[in-house]
Formats: sequence, structure tokens, C-alpha cells
Amino acid sequence: MKGTMRSAASGTAGLASVGRRPVWAYVLIYGFLGAVTLLALTPTVWVMLSSFKTGNQIFTGQGFWPSPFTVQGFVDAFTQIHLHEYLLNTLIYAGFGTLGALVAAFLAAYPLARFAFVGRNALVALFSLALALPLVGLATPVFFVVRELGLFDSRLGMVIFYSALQFPFTFIVLRAFLVSTPPELEEAAMMDGAGYFTTLFRVVLPLARPALATVAVVAFVNIWNEFFFANLLLVSQENQNVQLALAGFKSQFGFNVTGAVAGATVVMLVPICLFLVLQRQVISGLTAGAVK
Amino acid sequence: MSAPTTSTSGPLRPPDDERRAAAGRAAGAGKATAAGPANRTARRVVGTKIPRGMRGPVAVSLLPGIILFGTFFLVPFFVLVATAFARWGGLDFAWIGLDNYRRMFDDPVFYKAFGNTLFYAAASMFIQVPLGVAVGMVLALRPRGWRTLRTIIFVPFVISGAAYAVIFSMFYNPRSGLLNNVVGALGLPGDRDWLFDTTTARWAVAATFVFIIGFVVVLVMAEIASIPSELYEAASVDGATTWQQLTRITLPLLRNVIGTAILVRLLVDIGMFDLVFILTAGGPDDATATLALYAYRAYLNGEWGYANAVGSVILALGLVLIVTVRRVFRIGERAL
Repeated sequence: MKGTMRSAASGTAGLASVGRRPVWAYVLIYGFLGAVTLLALTPTVWVMLSSFKTGNQIFTGQGFWPSPFTVQGFVDAFTQIHLHEYLLNTLIYAGFGTLGALVAAFLAAYPLARFAFVGRNALVALFSLALALPLVGLATPVFFVVRELGLFDSRLGMVIFYSALQFPFTFIVLRAFLVSTPPELEEAAMMDGAGYFTTLFRVVLPLARPALATVAVVAFVNIWNEFFFANLLLVSQENQNVQLALAGFKSQFGFNVTGAVAGATVVMLVPICLFLVLQRQVISGLTAGAVK
Repeated sequence: MSAPTTSTSGPLRPPDDERRAAAGRAAGAGKATAAGPANRTARRVVGTKIPRGMRGPVAVSLLPGIILFGTFFLVPFFVLVATAFARWGGLDFAWIGLDNYRRMFDDPVFYKAFGNTLFYAAASMFIQVPLGVAVGMVLALRPRGWRTLRTIIFVPFVISGAAYAVIFSMFYNPRSGLLNNVVGALGLPGDRDWLFDTTTARWAVAATFVFIIGFVVVLVMAEIASIPSELYEAASVDGATTWQQLTRITLPLLRNVIGTAILVRLLVDIGMFDLVFILTAGGPDDATATLALYAYRAYLNGEWGYANAVGSVILALGLVLIVTVRRVFRIGERAL
């Protein structure tokens, strides 16, 4: 696919866009976009607003806006539900998991982008296949392998597993990037006697920085939002990530509804803020990963 | 309509899908090189032999990826294939041939889960993706504020399934949920338990994700941006209206990207678990259960062999649907 967010953003679209349109066309356009936005976002916005409500208001369901306005929910989320512990776990998983995936993928992407050797195409196809299959089908054997390795219900195990889970996506995007990059600089470095890893880290890595940043953001958000394998591979409360905590919140509704709702809001806001700040990276990373 | 030539496909020699797609992807990943020349260099270099004395380092370089991939994808895959034909609960183990599959095809709950999974996939294909395409096409007209709208519409895409489950368990709550408040305010009976009423449950679950269209919108907008403007200029000169331009020029050229969007979404739907597990746990009466949830229940029961037989169906279903969509939308061939 040739489409890129770059061209989408820089105003090269061919569609006759600037021309004047009749008023009814605008009514139609904004009516349609407004309706879709409303349907897509109302429940989420309503829940986020609810995190500033009292438990009583939430239970009775009276009123869209918080009244009275309170931040007690956020206090409860940290003091009673101990949200910060889950946040810290998730930060560890997402941070180190992303790092692990990035290192493994970068190391594998370079030779598989540059050199021809026996089994190269098979390896690339194999790595790509993992991105095209519903991996939840592998749940039980993944659990079995992780347990046999002594990595069940462990933070280290989760970091390693998430590195593996994000590896195919990271690898594919990085390799595609390297394939499209001219090799002259590396060739020159190698001519001058620079070793493989020196070239890789001194010459290729700096060039690949934009691509690395892009996949890093996406991998981070993916791990942050991961529920299925966390649910499968973790049991202790002290190891749980925020998504497991969210699922647990549902059962908390009975006695600590304000904390649960405020906690859910905090957990959602992390990837939302990341997206708003790094919009270009997120979008181009996701687009790149999809068009396998 | 004749196939137009674009700047990126122009300088390329006969089709080499992978590399061509690769160049496009990398450009998407924030690379600014002109695709043409970069492609030609890449073509030459991709065939290079490993330089003298670097075979060792290259092997070392490949190792972490191969180990991660082998341990967590390849080994589990072979375990799955083998134990799908066994009774296995971790310790006990016995080959039982096709018994797992026989049991599966005799179980009405399996068919329910299978049907629901297809139902969710259909909801994505026939509601979510078309809606996303429509919004993408409208936003590509660049009405005032399109950037902001694109951002806002994309936000739900970065919210996790678990968070969505929390949001919608509140939204659908029969007593305090927003939906029943609105329904009640409209003068209709506002006491329905949407998620736990067998007539509405599946639709209520589908309604949580069909509006997560940001990803489709972004894909579509990117593809539209790559359509050469001459096409539209020529059409305008010939007196084509905006509507005609959208339906006669843009839409046909989106075939490939629509297929891609469906692929990505099908992958999610076939493995759908988080939302259903947290929202309804598959209830009421398995009306919302999915294959992934059905397999997970078997796993919880210690019936690992059976869970893996179901897992093999999930993987096979994924493969079949993906191959079909690629065929139908001719992905891999060029749209332009």
C-alpha cells in the first residue's frame, strides 16, 4: 500500500476538496460525522464523567453531569484499590516487553532485510504468519510452555512473553523499513573494517530511529491493553496488570463503585494521552503493521 | 475504468509484491525517501550474500528472535496439533484419535459459540468496516475540523477491551445505565437488561465494538491521499459531482484497503474474548459465548486436549477466512 499518513497530512489529496458546496451538503456531512462521533464516544465520555460522581449518583443513574462534583473516586482508586500497584506492574510489562521485542526484532530484521541466505524467506514468512493468525487459539499450549519454563505467574515471565507477543509486528515493520533504506552507509562502514554489530548499532540504529519510535509506541499500547494472556498467565494479585484489575473492578461495583470507575478512567487515559501526544507515530505504526 | 499509473508503481519492474508493499509500509512508518529509487537499491541489495566473516554475528543476531518465536509460538503450535488428538490435563495423557472433534461436533454449545463468533465477525464486516469507510471518505473531503474529528474518532481504538467491558457494563446496567435512562426519557419501557436478555444480548455486545472505526478511517484516508489528483480534476472537467467522484473513482480504488481492514478486524473477532468474558461471561445461556471463551472453559476444566481441539478450529477458521478475504478483495494484487 502506498498510502501514508504523511501524504494524508500534508495536503496532497486529489479529491476536489476545497470547492464550495451547498449548505445542505454541509448539513449532511456534519450531521453524519456528528452522529457517528456521538455513538462512538458517548458511553466512554459518560463513564469518564461518572468518575467525578458520588457513589449515590452512580447507583441511581440520575443526571449526565457530576453533581455534586467530587474527586473522591480517584482517592479511593489509589487508597482502597491500590491502583498504583497495578499501574507499576503494567508499566514494567509494557516498558520492558516493548524493549525486549524491539531488541529482538531489530537484531533479526537487519540480516533478514539485507542478506540472502538459505531459509531466509521461510523465516520471514514464518514470523509474518504469527501476525495473521488468531493467537488466542494457542492459549492452552502457551500456558503449558510458560509453566514448564517456570515462568508462570512471574513478572519476568510476563516481560519475556510480551516481548515474544510483540515480536512479529515489530519485526515486520522494522524489516520493511530497512528493506526500503539504501545500504550505502553500512557498506561503507563495513568496507572500513567495522564489524557487524558495530555497523548495526552505530550506523543502522540511528537511521532506524523513527521506525523504532513508531513501533515502540504501538507495542507499548498493545501490551498496556493486553488482557487475554495476562489472565491466562498470572494469578497472584501482586503480579496483575491494570486490565485484570479492570475486570476485577466489575465485582468491586458492589462496595467501591467510585474507586472502580475512577480507576477505569485512569487506566484508559494512559493510552489515550499517549495517542494524543504521539498521534503520528501511533497511526503510522498501526497502518504499517496492518498492511502485511 | 483504466488502471492509472502512480508515482510509486511507475518505476517498478515486474511485480514483486512483498518488496513493493514493504516500501509502502516503511514510508508509512515515517520514512521520507522517494519510493522509486529506494526500491531499486533495495532490490539489488536484498540479494547480497552475507559478507565474509559475518556469518557468525548474523547467526547470533537472529538468535533472540528465533528463540522467542520458537518458544512461544512454534512449540505451542506443535503441542496444540499433537494434543488435539489426546485426552490431556497436564499429567494424564492418552491418545484418543478424533474423539475431541467428535465431542465438539456433538456439542450444541460449540455450535452456539461458533455461530456467535461468526455473528461478531459479520457485524464487523457489514457494519463497522462500511461505516469506517464512509467516515473516512467524508473526512477525506476535508470539511473544516477534519483533523480534530479524525483524532476524536480514533480515540476508542486505543481503549482496551477490558475498559470497554467496564464502560458498557455500566452503560447497559438496567437500573442506572445511561441507555435505559435515555430509552425511558423517550417514553419507552426503560427496564430492559440488554446484556442478559437472550433476544438482545448478542446485539448489545456487537454494539460495543462496531463504532470503533478509527482504524478503518485512518487506513481509508491514507489510501485516498495516494490517489492521483489528475483523476478528480479530469472528472470535474467532465462535470462529475462530488458524489459521483466518491462512488465512481474513490470507492473502487479502495478495494484493497477495505480488504485489509476486514482482515485485521476478522482476526480480532475470531479470537474475541476480553469483552465477552468480562461483560457477560458468555451468558445468558451462552447467547454471547465465543469460540475463544468456549476453549477457555475447557482449559479451566483441565480438559486441555479438548481445549486444543477447539483452538485448532479457531486457528483454522482464521486461516480460511483470511485466505477467502484475500481472494475476494484480491489483496496482494494492486488496486492501482
